[in-house]
Amino acid sequence: MTAAPPPSTGRELSNPPTDGISNLRFSNHSDHLLVSSWDKSVRLYDASANALRGEFMHGGAVLDCCFHDDSSGFSASADHTVRRLVFNYNREDILGRHDAPVRCIEYSYATGQVITGSWDKTLKCWDPRGASAQERSLVGTYAQPERVYSMSLVGNRLVVATAGRHVNVYDLRNMSQPEQRRESSLKYQTRCVRCYPNGTGYALSSVEGRVAMEFFDLSEAGQSKKYAFKCHRKSEAGRDIVYPVNAIAFHPIYGTFATGGCDGYVNVWDGNNKKRLYQYAKYPTSVAALSFSRDGRLLAVASSYTYEEGDKPHEPDAIFVRSVNEVEVKPKPKMLPNPAT
Amino acid sequence: MDSVYLFPPLSFWISDALCFGSLLSQQASHNRYIYQGLEMESTCGSLLFELQKIWDEVGEADNERDKMLFELEQECLDAYKRKVDQASRCRAQLRQAVADAEAQLADIYAALGDRPVHMNKSSGSLKKELHAIMPQLEDMKKKRNERKSQFAEVLKQINSISKELSGSTEDNLTTMIIDEHDLSMKRLDDLQSQLLLLQKEKGERLRQVLDQLNVLNALCMVLGMDFKSTVCSVHPTLGDSSGTKSISADTIKSLSATICRLKDVKLQRMQRVHIFSSQVFAKQFIQLSYLLHFQLQELAMTMVELWNLMDTPVEEQHMFQSVTRTIAAAENEITEPNSLSLEFIDNAETEVMRLQEMKMSKIKEVISRKREILEEICRGAHMVVDGQFGTDLSVESIESGAISPSDLLEQLEFQISKVKEEAFSRKEILEKVQKWLAAREEESWLEEYNRDDNRYNAGRGTHLMLKRAEKARVIVNKIPAMVDALKSKAKTWEKERKTEFLYDGVGLISMIDEYCELKHLKEQERQKQRDQKKLQGQLMTEQEAIYGSKPSPSKSSNKRKKNNGGGPVKQHSSNASNSQKHAEFLTLRKALSPISSLCSNIISCNFEDQNAKTGEFKDTQTAYKTPSATPTKTVSAYDENRTPKTMPIPLPATPPTMSNAMQTATTPFTPGIRGVEEVEYSYEERRAGFVSTKLHSRPLSLV
Repeated sequence: MTAAPPPSTGRELSNPPTDGISNLRFSNHSDHLLVSSWDKSVRLYDASANALRGEFMHGGAVLDCCFHDDSSGFSASADHTVRRLVFNYNREDILGRHDAPVRCIEYSYATGQVITGSWDKTLKCWDPRGASAQERSLVGTYAQPERVYSMSLVGNRLVVATAGRHVNVYDLRNMSQPEQRRESSLKYQTRCVRCYPNGTGYALSSVEGRVAMEFFDLSEAGQSKKYAFKCHRKSEAGRDIVYPVNAIAFHPIYGTFATGGCDGYVNVWDGNNKKRLYQYAKYPTSVAALSFSRDGRLLAVASSYTYEEGDKPHEPDAIFVRSVNEVEVKPKPKMLPNPAT
Repeated sequence: MDSVYLFPPLSFWISDALCFGSLLSQQASHNRYIYQGLEMESTCGSLLFELQKIWDEVGEADNERDKMLFELEQECLDAYKRKVDQASRCRAQLRQAVADAEAQLADIYAALGDRPVHMNKSSGSLKKELHAIMPQLEDMKKKRNERKSQFAEVLKQINSISKELSGSTEDNLTTMIIDEHDLSMKRLDDLQSQLLLLQKEKGERLRQVLDQLNVLNALCMVLGMDFKSTVCSVHPTLGDSSGTKSISADTIKSLSATICRLKDVKLQRMQRVHIFSSQVFAKQFIQLSYLLHFQLQELAMTMVELWNLMDTPVEEQHMFQSVTRTIAAAENEITEPNSLSLEFIDNAETEVMRLQEMKMSKIKEVISRKREILEEICRGAHMVVDGQFGTDLSVESIESGAISPSDLLEQLEFQISKVKEEAFSRKEILEKVQKWLAAREEESWLEEYNRDDNRYNAGRGTHLMLKRAEKARVIVNKIPAMVDALKSKAKTWEKERKTEFLYDGVGLISMIDEYCELKHLKEQERQKQRDQKKLQGQLMTEQEAIYGSKPSPSKSSNKRKKNNGGGPVKQHSSNASNSQKHAEFLTLRKALSPISSLCSNIISCNFEDQNAKTGEFKDTQTAYKTPSATPTKTVSAYDENRTPKTMPIPLPATPPTMSNAMQTATTPFTPGIRGVEEVEYSYEERRAGFVSTKLHSRPLSLV
């Protein structure tokens, strides 16, 4: 066993949000990073230049954000609003409203629509080209069995995870009803869901240190591939401490993925070979969100207390951007047998 | 005048009667004078007689008397002379007056150009003549004045028009002076015709100016400029719609210059618009090709996508319809107001910029999708993506300008077709590889299963396991044939292609070879073991012979002694400390059961790790299925996972450089436990206060 590489958390961005970080995302076109926070702000950073490029203040905590193109984005706020943000002009307008805080937001390049999930137990699709009037921008409202907790898109597939361990898989071209209605394979509350970049399935994490790898293909052969594994756990004084898995981020090129937990660790996994590829040095507090840059060379890590133990003193919120070594994320070919031993 | 005749009778009387008589005879025609003269003669005679009487009385001397008479006569003569002079002077004046009048008359006639009026000379006395000529003269003078005013009028008009035409503000004084000597009708006609000419020219110019103004107005409308200010800059009077407009040559010249300039501007802008339009077309073309692309490839799947994509251009095009329309129009046909105004063109240009940006991002999207497709195919065919194309086929290389988007697309397309072709050729072999791998998986499962001592214990699902094991054994028996077929196939493929067949970057042949070698090694190991067993048997019989007792067969199956040193376990160096224990459990494998392949070994090994440490020979599944109630838990849901708590988890504290196997455990599909649970809330909901008060319970998260 060789010595572990020197622990490094990556470069910390200056001007971090002043309260919990709810999500962060890299742009599909540049190294710009959009960050939403409980301090009611959405911030735009240039990650490679370590510069704050824009800031938008909202009426309530911002629970999620995403890019539209490189010059605009969307945000989901606890003040029930869905907003469109134009970075160049520092302008924002309200796309519409939910009846409760909006938990997650996604932009679909396939349909050109914004999709939001809210604690009002609905999903809404928006056309961002519609004028500021809600009746013009709202495309549809789709009832969910429970409050929406996490959402992910790949191609025309949309996976929605709600409270009560429900998972709905939609085809964006026919939103009238879910393509598949599922129950989470994990027994505890769903924390995060992310689709595989190759569009064949999704990874789902729970509050109980476990990640399930699922497949859309409902055939027996397809379903036989699914599995779940434990992670983000710690054995201490004979007790096993299990941490929530807050974030999953897939590498855009290799299809491997990173998970972040309340233990402050980020692990990189090879889902096909069922191996852990790497574990990064511990971050000061919970890892709240993760995002790989478009070329997979950078990984943004939000180290921010996620309120899992209620209001308590905690480490300051911070964003780390680390460059990713290929060896940390590249799947290793099947381990060759070593007959000598 | 009568006084002139006062004294002639006296002189007649006194001296020269003949002289007086002639005088009187001259005046004889005048009866009145004669009568008067007679009266005077009598008066003079009586006076003379009286004088003679006085003298007689006085006794005046004769010479004195003569002297006095002579004086008297002399005085009379002087008086006559004076009167005659006076009369002759008067006559001369009259004559002069007549002559003057005649001369004036003649002048006027000459000036008016009329024929000279024939005058009847000598008709009567001078005074009559004068009386006759004076009214005529007055007449003519009046006529001349009239004529003069006519001239003045015409000249004034000519002057004003020529002033307008020349554009000068000062009066042209030379033309204002009327030639007094030529007031003939002919000249008037000349002047009038000149005036007409000038008026015609003025009309012409006015029309010209109005035409130009119309053209200018149209241009200004098209270009979105202020017509009034443009025109006022040429000449201030032009902007005034009601007043007279300047029509001087300068104005016309500068007007036409302005028109020329604006036309130039219009042409320039049109070129810009044409460039813009071609860009718009280029963009549409790219979008169309993009659409076509997807139509061909994913026709069914992208129908909705297409509609949405088509949606955008239609809306955008609507705004700029007028612009795209100009492509076909010639310069003269562009007349729509503001269609070439600067703001409009600017708007259009910013739109083009936006569209270009959009195009860029669309292209990037297409390229990344292409890449995805390429990678997908590669992945499907278990080919290494990296080896197939250089990293330069990425979006960044477009941005850096190293390669044009169309080239990149073409290259990607080429790569895709190449990869597709290769994937097709690999298909048959891949199917076999899949079968082989599946068989290996079954083999390893079987191996593991065989190691389970409790496998025949009656329990839920055991019959399924038995069935699976039965099937697995059949499959495992087929493996050697499978491997042979696969190897020959791969070899022919390699011969055909002259390259190594790589499966996920590893040579297939070498994979097979390694598998075979490993199998061979295991076979040898097994043989050795069998020999050892035989030896032991011999030893036992010997012992029996010596001590007369035979160890019971159950005790002889002591695990410790039957360490076969299973290869795969020892490879797992990270858990080297446990290897001894592993070894113990591995001995449980039945002698004839197949040996697990290496690829699946790691997973199974991990299970064993756990099992080894807990010292329980439990399937992981069974472990999870049996919840053991632990006191620390308040929420019943947690009981499910009690077991792992007691287990130490083999995660190294320091990040390993070697990859670790995941702790996979198939989570059983037990029905939801939500019924027992209270309404759950996420951390975010708690934090945002989105929790109804009665449900506020301890956070579920940490144990």
